[in-house]
Amino acid sequence: MAEKPSDLVQGTLDMLILKTLALEPMHGYGIAVRLEQMSDGVFRLNAGSLFVAFQRLQRTGLIKSEWKATENSRRAKYYALTEQGRKRLNSETREWGRQVAAIARILEAS
Amino acid sequence: MSFLRSIASGLRSLFRKKQVDSDLDEELNGFLEMAAEEKMKQGMGRKHALRAVRLERGSLEVTKEEVRSAGWESFVETCWQDLRFAVRMLLKSPGFTAVAVLTLALGIGANTAIFSLVNGVLLRPLPYRNPNRLMMVWEKSRDGSPENVGYATYLDWKSQNKSFEEIAIYSSWQPALQVGEPEQLSGLRVTSNYFRTLGIHPEIGRDFLPEEDVPNANKVVMLSHSLWQRKFNSDPNIVGKPINMNATQYIVAGVLPARYQSLMNQDPRGGAVEIWRVLGYDVSQPWACRTCHHLVAIGRLRDGVAITQANAEMDTIAAALSKAYPKEYDDIGVILTPIREQLLGPASTPLYILLGAVSFVLLVACANLANLLLSRATHREREVAVRTALGATRGRIIRQLLAENCFLGLLGAAAGLIPAYWTPKVLASVGAGDLPRLDQVQLDWQVLLFTVGVALLTGIAAGLAPAYRLLKNNMHDSLKEGMRGSGSVASRRLRGLLIVSEVALSLTLLIGAGLLLRSLSRLLVVSPGFDPSNVLSMQTSVLGQRFNDNAIVRQYFADAVERLRALPGVQSAAAASQIPLAGNMDRYGFHVEGKMHANPEEDPSAQRYCITPGFLETMRIPLLRGRDISLADRATAPQVLLVSETTARRMWPGEDPIGKRVKLGGVDQPWWTVVGITGDVHHVGLDADPDMQMYIPHQQWPFPDGLMVFVIRAASTPAAISSAAQQAIHSIDATQPISRIMPLESYVGLSVQGRKFALILIGAFAAIALTLSVVGIYGVTAYSVAQRTREIGIRIALGAQRGELLGLLLRQGMLLVVCGVIAGVISSVALTRFLATMLFDVQPTDRLTFAGVVLLLVAVSAVACFLPARRAMRVDPIIALRYE
Repeated sequence: MAEKPSDLVQGTLDMLILKTLALEPMHGYGIAVRLEQMSDGVFRLNAGSLFVAFQRLQRTGLIKSEWKATENSRRAKYYALTEQGRKRLNSETREWGRQVAAIARILEAS
Repeated sequence: MSFLRSIASGLRSLFRKKQVDSDLDEELNGFLEMAAEEKMKQGMGRKHALRAVRLERGSLEVTKEEVRSAGWESFVETCWQDLRFAVRMLLKSPGFTAVAVLTLALGIGANTAIFSLVNGVLLRPLPYRNPNRLMMVWEKSRDGSPENVGYATYLDWKSQNKSFEEIAIYSSWQPALQVGEPEQLSGLRVTSNYFRTLGIHPEIGRDFLPEEDVPNANKVVMLSHSLWQRKFNSDPNIVGKPINMNATQYIVAGVLPARYQSLMNQDPRGGAVEIWRVLGYDVSQPWACRTCHHLVAIGRLRDGVAITQANAEMDTIAAALSKAYPKEYDDIGVILTPIREQLLGPASTPLYILLGAVSFVLLVACANLANLLLSRATHREREVAVRTALGATRGRIIRQLLAENCFLGLLGAAAGLIPAYWTPKVLASVGAGDLPRLDQVQLDWQVLLFTVGVALLTGIAAGLAPAYRLLKNNMHDSLKEGMRGSGSVASRRLRGLLIVSEVALSLTLLIGAGLLLRSLSRLLVVSPGFDPSNVLSMQTSVLGQRFNDNAIVRQYFADAVERLRALPGVQSAAAASQIPLAGNMDRYGFHVEGKMHANPEEDPSAQRYCITPGFLETMRIPLLRGRDISLADRATAPQVLLVSETTARRMWPGEDPIGKRVKLGGVDQPWWTVVGITGDVHHVGLDADPDMQMYIPHQQWPFPDGLMVFVIRAASTPAAISSAAQQAIHSIDATQPISRIMPLESYVGLSVQGRKFALILIGAFAAIALTLSVVGIYGVTAYSVAQRTREIGIRIALGAQRGELLGLLLRQGMLLVVCGVIAGVISSVALTRFLATMLFDVQPTDRLTFAGVVLLLVAVSAVACFLPARRAMRVDPIIALRYE
């Protein structure tokens, strides 16, 4: 079995993918690499969880996809945020900030 | 929206599987390639790079599987796989499948049939607008029972109440339609607001108008859709046309829609109501009195008015009326009956009893199937163990087993629908008694839904226990050759419990059937008080201008009886205004000289038969004392009558009634002298005690009845004289309709038909349940014998007596039966009291029935245990020891 993103807080993968796509449309591998780079290699995702998340996000209408050529002129599926996805990212980011701050307060108090 | 998108995308992957697959393939391949290229840039060889990527990111196939199983469509897909697998497994053991399907078909078929009956009769909505606001409105009689109303009372109710939107009244009407062959119709006379009250609009034409509801106005009628088709060829221009009935011209106001079938006449002998005329009540007539209870009232409650509220208001009105007319009311209030209860109430008890009984059959079938599945589970332990070892999850295995059971259930449902399809026809041939709306019993989507639901539920319920057992078993033991996991104590106990409940349920059904059988046999030996064999009855009424003269009416019937008597093959003939057991309800209040109450309303009433001489002889009703009426008792002679034994006993205890005088109807009527005492007849039913009865000469009654029933005693069968008798009557006047041509024995038969119907059905259910239980008992014993073959062999080899062994094997099965019998007797004692209303002369806990049924069940079960046990006795110890 490949390693699972169990070290990722439940439910945060979707938010991270949305964040990654906020700048520009990207293909699957690009998203994986970007997530690794941005997290300084903390999050190393296997293909399974990544693609299940793509399918889920696409079905809930937060992202959309399109086949395009890569810079290496290879065919790849590019994912992009929808308007709905952008809204969700904003609200989730806010909510996340609130929760982290709250958790931090609790941890500091003890 | 995202929900819809998810469905669309899921459907896409289901139906365009290839395309979606190759898409995913390409995307994933690209992903892995790009990852590998990254590694190759750092100097790895392609082969190593790809391997590293696989380790890091997961292999292509595993990822694909993960993505695929994440969507809901994968669930559908595996279900489909489960189903296909189930079909394969069931086809592999056709014997098991056949027995299981047959068991289910019996249980589900019986349930579907009864549900379609209950659905058609009880559950279908009544054909009125907002039927739960419709109430029958009765006067409350002294004994608290509901009673019809008089017209004057109705008018006061109508003008004084504030609870009802409308109150309408009706009374029965049997016009003779003189279109083509004269035909006696079943009809109603109604107030002009009748259809408005019920909420029915004519399909063509118009409703009755208030100005038509007066005496001597234009006479208008409403036709039922069926009458319009049958007698008027669906004439689209029928409205406004005149039709002749009872030698009077009526104008057609409208035709009612086809979906409206009147439920007001529930007498199975009378046929459905097909025609309505405006009441046009003449308040100047003597029968318009407040004490003349001959109209039925029906009202629609205003929105927001509760029944109790309406009842309280009506009681107040009734109390005021009673104060204003103290001599004319003995009633102390008003009774409101919801129309559903009025029309369907009497049918609902027996139907719900049937539904309960048939659900027992289903439970027995379910237990039996569970037992079958348990023994099958033994053979499948290894299969399940292998599948678990290969990584199948618990949920997946349970789902697969349930898929198999659901499929079995559906097969059973399909087989069970076959008998249900025939239900209406079977009902028609068995005769369901006086259940209303039988024509609405059919196989429709509600019934189908019920059947499929019951089938799935049964399949799942029967499959849960075996599935649970399979999973609890130790995988390692099962994988080892020769281990027999399911001989475990828990499994045996479960099977025992199933058998015990099967026996208990069957016993309860058998006892119910036994009680009904005993009731019917008791009822059939009750003498009706007359001899119905070889007597033909036919009804006729005289209509038209010519018959406005009483003398002509009397003469007509005297002549008709004379001509009937003269026919060859006729022993005797007579006519009467009503005959026993025919659903006629003519009662008259009477007043005995010297024994009248201060309020004449409190005096008793009796069934009144207006007869021609020879009625007692033709019916073979015994004359106990005095003389019969004769031709000498003509209109001008002193007025005489006969009273029945019960009347004599109740009214003149210890006295000789002969020579005593009574008044019939009002107190202002002349005196009639009792000249003879007859035997009692059962008028309402064989199961009801005879009431008081009086026989009056047709020649002497001041308003001779125009609707009479001829009774003709034939030398041979009644059918032989039927057409000659009709010709004889028509030879006097061919325009008079003859109806209800029926042997008297059929009336007797009809009066017990409802009981027969219940008995046949519950008997059939009991038989099915018994058969299933016996098969179950046999199966369990046979299984345990098969399991113990080796042990038996050893015992025989060691010198055990065969008789001892037989006892050993029988004891196990019979212990279960005895436990079942005890449980069954307890449940019967608790349940049979619900049958009480359907029993006659038999206690719900009748010892003889209980004992007989228990004996029968034990005997049959003993045979079912004995057969496999005897087979074990024939076992050759050498072979048994080598067994396995």
